[in-house]
Amino acid sequence: MAKHGGWAGKVLRVDLSTGRISTEDTIEKYKDFLGGTGIGYKVIWDEVPIGTKPFDPANKVVFGVGPLAGTGAPCNGRTAVTTLWPTCWPKPLVASGHMGGHFAAELKYAGFDAIIIEGRADRPVWLQVADGKVEIKDARRLWGQGIRRTTVEINQQMGPEASVAAIGQAGENLVPMSVVMNSYSHSAGGIGGVMGSKNLKAIGVRGTGSVRIAGNKGEWEKVVKLHLSLLGSVNQHVVPNSPQPWAEYYGVTRWVGSRGRKWGAAEPSIETGECDPRNLNRISYRTNNAVFFLGEKAWQYTVRGNGCTSCPIRCHTMLKVPAVSSKYGIPAVGQNTCAGLILGRDFFKAFPDGPMGQTAIEACMVGMHLADDLGIWENYGQMQRDFKELYYNGTIKNKVGENEFKSYSWDKYEKGDPSFLFELLTRIADKEGELATALGLGTGYHLERWGIPEQEWQKDQKVAYWKMGHPKHHSNEDAGQCGVIINTQYNRDAQCHSHVNFTRNGLPIEVQKRLAAEIWGSSDAVDALAAYTPMNISKAKMAKWSLLRKELHDSLSLCNWMGPWIASPLKERDYRGDDSIESLLYSLATGDKKSREELDKVAERIFLLHRALTIRYMETKEMRAQHDTVPDWVFTDPASKASFTQGTNRMDKEDIKLAMDMYYEEMGWDKKTGSPTAAAYRKLGLGNVADELAKRGLLP
Amino acid sequence: MEQQEQIYTAIANVIRKSSETGQLVQFEEIWTELTGQGLLTSEADDQRPHLQGVVREVVKRNEDLREIPGAHGIAYFYSTQTLSETYAVILARKKGDPLELIAQIVRENSSVYPRPVPLDLFRESPFDLTGEEILACLDKMGQQREYQDIVQTTTSIGNKFLFSSRHLNPDYASTLAEWLDVGQINNP
Repeated sequence: MAKHGGWAGKVLRVDLSTGRISTEDTIEKYKDFLGGTGIGYKVIWDEVPIGTKPFDPANKVVFGVGPLAGTGAPCNGRTAVTTLWPTCWPKPLVASGHMGGHFAAELKYAGFDAIIIEGRADRPVWLQVADGKVEIKDARRLWGQGIRRTTVEINQQMGPEASVAAIGQAGENLVPMSVVMNSYSHSAGGIGGVMGSKNLKAIGVRGTGSVRIAGNKGEWEKVVKLHLSLLGSVNQHVVPNSPQPWAEYYGVTRWVGSRGRKWGAAEPSIETGECDPRNLNRISYRTNNAVFFLGEKAWQYTVRGNGCTSCPIRCHTMLKVPAVSSKYGIPAVGQNTCAGLILGRDFFKAFPDGPMGQTAIEACMVGMHLADDLGIWENYGQMQRDFKELYYNGTIKNKVGENEFKSYSWDKYEKGDPSFLFELLTRIADKEGELATALGLGTGYHLERWGIPEQEWQKDQKVAYWKMGHPKHHSNEDAGQCGVIINTQYNRDAQCHSHVNFTRNGLPIEVQKRLAAEIWGSSDAVDALAAYTPMNISKAKMAKWSLLRKELHDSLSLCNWMGPWIASPLKERDYRGDDSIESLLYSLATGDKKSREELDKVAERIFLLHRALTIRYMETKEMRAQHDTVPDWVFTDPASKASFTQGTNRMDKEDIKLAMDMYYEEMGWDKKTGSPTAAAYRKLGLGNVADELAKRGLLP
Repeated sequence: MEQQEQIYTAIANVIRKSSETGQLVQFEEIWTELTGQGLLTSEADDQRPHLQGVVREVVKRNEDLREIPGAHGIAYFYSTQTLSETYAVILARKKGDPLELIAQIVRENSSVYPRPVPLDLFRESPFDLTGEEILACLDKMGQQREYQDIVQTTTSIGNKFLFSSRHLNPDYASTLAEWLDVGQINNP
């Protein structure tokens, strides 16, 4: 191990059935898979038998972090949690949830690169990991508590610096739509019930160690500084959303900091200032996700930005809304980002004062208060879209018994009264009644339970459902065919931001095209928004690159919500980022020198293992027909505009077939089945995987 | 010779300092500043044409310095070290006709990015127009032939966007406005 930096060197294994705690050498067993999802997929491949269900003791949960976690590399706070996914329909397949916060760094400082949880405890327990010392502790006193109380109690025992990843009542009650959450607002969806099935309430980690940087320290500092200089705001939007003295470009982006804009609830209030990108000490002032999602009014309630270890972006906005204390009896302060921030608002169709008014903000506060304590997952807004659709089309009334239906205050709901959320969310966590139980299953199982064919959801653009129980996540609306390809590849929503963090970065289309040509070989890789052109090979290259960067980030612990960093706010660089930043950081941190291309090959190995796992658990090689499917709504337009005309995201069926052909070819997979060939596996060092799939008749 | 160099340096400094505060500077302000520094005698009005030439010479000698024409034939100066051309152009136009300012911004956005711009943009710095002023401008623009390409579109949540029909067709502009105002937020 002495040879390598970056990794802590040990993977922790905890068998909750037997109480056995052991460790493995990270380098020996997992180096070829880096960390994060890489370790997760490897463990599931090696150890979890076909036919295992998510809540079976035989399922495993892998909390994996990467060699860059806990270093000074920017945006390194991600923990990937990999398991058999309880909301993947019609059968559970492998997937991962991702949480930021401080868990990843603490785990490294405590001496571990991953924790593999297996078996099932015979009583509620929590796991204490402190500087290499691991104990399974009694959690009976914590069981039944929300995430906040659990976190406080464990922090009281371990100290305030400990990071606590806990489940709420939803996870305990085996609600599939549930999260594990650390640092009060950083959650990984889909994991709560799996932990609950193992009687594992929480993991507390605390470390006082450090991560060794193998390379030259001066070089390391230089690369970290380069990386910082390339950062934009949240989601790597590299231009501000209003004209600023230093800026050549401006746009409708998430870079909202500007002269005169203030965090109004800070005491005293703080002006964000102009955030000139050359001033690295002002990066944190660029982003205010509450303002982006809730409107200008949110400035007055902003206390500050919050976020993950070593990330200056601070995408979690801390809000203080005094009115919610007296109106709803909840704390005035809450924080979250993106979908978590707007969870409460998204249940409603309308509010008395509009979608950006005070009531909508209050709905967000109530939503965060409840969901982040009960540990409810909203599946990138799918739960709320399902709920609205099923209520307003009359299905809920028809499917739920009369008494139960009457027990909800629908008048409040229709008026946009946030207090309605107290009725709904608490019942989801407790599986109380038909409606709450069904919503808690996740879309696929919910539709099946209520006899609604999945195809109905796949026709409806506004429901934004993709397949297998999950929604679209940055598909054709953000990157045309590239977005479509990406959304076909996972067993849950794609969670890939490599493509959208480029296409939405705010730069003019001609600048984007120039940068695209440098990375994907042609300016035709990208189109202007809603002005898509037919498929070409550079779009397939962009899709492959996007997927591999996602897996790379998930395995290194870099944040794919913030990266990659191929564009920058710097005019002096002609707005170029650096496509090699990951390999530069990896090589210096670990001492394992790898070029960009070599590291991408490792990412491809990890992604291929995910593909192999999907094939093995689906027990078919017919991926193109049975897995990589595209919902019908992608081929429609609300105003019946034709594909490839301005003003529509509508895709063309034949063109998407071509897109998949080109993508499979780019990956070196069989075009007919969409499955990787034996040669594709072997080329990436996965000969054993090819052999097993061959035995099962699962190679093309 | 030494004094001339001193004046050259002082002029460059005045321009750069002004840009650091996010402002353009015009010749009269440079004149006043140099006089205040004792580099020019206040009675030397006959030096004005000469000094204008000197300012232009200083701009030529310094890569970061630029001259930009403003309204009523007034020239403005700025440094690209701290002020982008985009911002400087907005500041220069702001000193002229607000109708022209709005129209040019809308046309550029429609052509370059391409996208419509929210009406509220013009309430932001550096435009700093009030809601009433914006509406009054739009009203006037509606009556003038040269602004007939500036068109409004309203999103599903009632916000207005402007675009130029020279660069965007109405249908496309409306889709883009809806995306910027509603779609982006619904696709976090």
